Amino acid sequence: MKGKSSSPLHALAVVAAATTVLGVGSVTGAGAQDKFKLGMAVGGNPCCEWMKAQGDVARALAEQRGWDYMELSNNDDAATALKNAGIFIQEGVDAVIQFNGQPSANPALAQRFASANIPVVTYDIAQPGFYFVGIDNLAAGLAGGEALGNIIKEKWNCEPDLVISAEGASAGIVNEWRTGGMRDGLKKVCPDIPAEKWVSFESQGQATVGLPAARDLLAAHPDAKRMAVVGLNDGGVLAAINAAEQLGRADEIIGWGQDGAFITGDNVNPHLAGSVFYFLEGYAVYALRDVIDPIAAGNPPPLKDTAGDPASRVQPCPVSAEEAAKVPDMPERVKMLLEAPPGTTEYELFCPSA
Amino acid sequence: MADHAIGHSVPEARPGMRFRLEGLGTAAVVALAWMALIAISAIHRPDFLSHQTILAIAFTMSIVGVLAVGQALVGISGGFLDLSQPTSLILTALAASRLLAAGLDPAFVIVLTLAIGALWGFANALIIVHGKLNPVIVTLATNFIGLAALFLVFQIAEAPIDSGFRAFGRGSFLGLPNIWWPMIALVLVVGFFLPRTRYGRRAIAVGGNRFAAQARGISLRKTRFAIFTASGVCAGIAGLLFAASSGPFTPASGTVYLLPVIAASILAGVSLAGGRGNIWLILLSVGFLSTVPTSLVFFGLSSDWQAIFQGAILIVAVSIDGYREKWVAR
Repeated sequence: MKGKSSSPLHALAVVAAATTVLGVGSVTGAGAQDKFKLGMAVGGNPCCEWMKAQGDVARALAEQRGWDYMELSNNDDAATALKNAGIFIQEGVDAVIQFNGQPSANPALAQRFASANIPVVTYDIAQPGFYFVGIDNLAAGLAGGEALGNIIKEKWNCEPDLVISAEGASAGIVNEWRTGGMRDGLKKVCPDIPAEKWVSFESQGQATVGLPAARDLLAAHPDAKRMAVVGLNDGGVLAAINAAEQLGRADEIIGWGQDGAFITGDNVNPHLAGSVFYFLEGYAVYALRDVIDPIAAGNPPPLKDTAGDPASRVQPCPVSAEEAAKVPDMPERVKMLLEAPPGTTEYELFCPSA
Repeated sequence: MADHAIGHSVPEARPGMRFRLEGLGTAAVVALAWMALIAISAIHRPDFLSHQTILAIAFTMSIVGVLAVGQALVGISGGFLDLSQPTSLILTALAASRLLAAGLDPAFVIVLTLAIGALWGFANALIIVHGKLNPVIVTLATNFIGLAALFLVFQIAEAPIDSGFRAFGRGSFLGLPNIWWPMIALVLVVGFFLPRTRYGRRAIAVGGNRFAAQARGISLRKTRFAIFTASGVCAGIAGLLFAASSGPFTPASGTVYLLPVIAASILAGVSLAGGRGNIWLILLSVGFLSTVPTSLVFFGLSSDWQAIFQGAILIVAVSIDGYREKWVAR
């Protein structure tokens, strides 16, 4: 009998303890409820250092404003992104920033957040119903392609043996805009490069993962000497450059990347001629300044959910390797960004052509 | 002479003898498949037979080959598989990159990196032996833990680009990549000593029948420690070669190696049941598997096909291994 009578109390204690530990339903005080709460779903793709930094900057800016901040990682997985949306809703966040590494999940995410009446900011990949904050990827691709085209025109009179595209198919439309945009930009400067000179390999946006495929591609074109490389990002372009180095053919390979991940610091590959900075780690400045701050103040801005008419436009910043040498590396940029006056963007702080 | 060197006790001699004699059929099959692949590719595209192709295949072979030696040692000794290799590869590559960037002497970096690899393998063995746990589950778990821990420590790493270490990784010797030579040396040395030393024969005996081995006084614990530590050292060597030859890498960069390494080990005739396998055959299996993706590109197929072929080859190899086990049991 004693055991029986103590069971409900015991169970209650366990539930109470578990609730406290898990933080479920912990927002009970009036003060806590009044505090604005920002949710951030970081991409969680191991490809890139900036993915984690995007969350770090958002956290710092939220803390500067005295908000609650909750960060979850989508682990580069659509199912996890959906699960995280449920957690954000359950936790009662007031707004969410969503890095969209998994665009296939976006319609379902939009439905969930809309039913919970939670405004969402999406980075770089547009989704109806989400505020669009980001770069014009096609414009960034075209700018990078034109810059590389000018180098090829000057060095090789627009007569490369190969133009290699480092694709990242899993990025979907972003890959088409950036890599395809670079090809189109290059064609603007050098329109007469024959079709058989254009080749592609799947880099998955990572230097080491794409390396064997790039090596095999170069082996299949053993006579190509003058090679130009475009791609989804710096990592993919570096895969081709590293392959050429391994095969003893690095003397005449020139790459131009996207995202600026490997164009700063003291370990820059000399064959990476340039890149296009988006300063991805600092996107939260745009999101908070133009969307979340007005929402927190009770004045939600009009929903602008397309890349053509975005809620906030991020400026692409094409830079040569020489120019990039003057740009601080990412940790230093983040530090300087957080010390700058509120609303200042990295483009304004660091882009040499700004 | 070799028979004399096998050991003092008859029971230990048998696995060694069988170990050295078997595998000839496997070698013939894999060698024939490799030659056929090269011939078909060369007929389709005569420029397949270029120095560039040899370099591309040899680079692919190098890291996979070293890891496959560690994997084969674990398999032969009855540990089934070491699924923690992706993490130990990146852990040691990270250590080498960071230590070199800190300006340490390369010789010291090499020793320290190998020690870290050995420590990783030793830690695996510690959990397996003292927890009395399945090695596959333990190494699967340590791989997850290690990967998560690596993500906490770094996002991107790269050995100093202008260092002699990187120049070594990009360079060639006698027409083959510098990083290919440590791989071949490791395969030859381990393949020679495994069936010819007491420790090697004990590992084979434990893999063949651990109860019989224990009855003969062979310590399963010591064998597990030795083998997993050796596997860790192999990962350390692979980590050094990886850091020297690859560009910037992430904590997850090692995951792509696991499938080809396991496939190479099984295709080389290493029995998943333990007790059987010939390390030298790894040269053939790794060579064949490394030629497949290069060949696919010459046929105009995208690199996406690579995983399909490797997966199919793995299934065929496992099926052959299963058939072989049944045949031996008869």
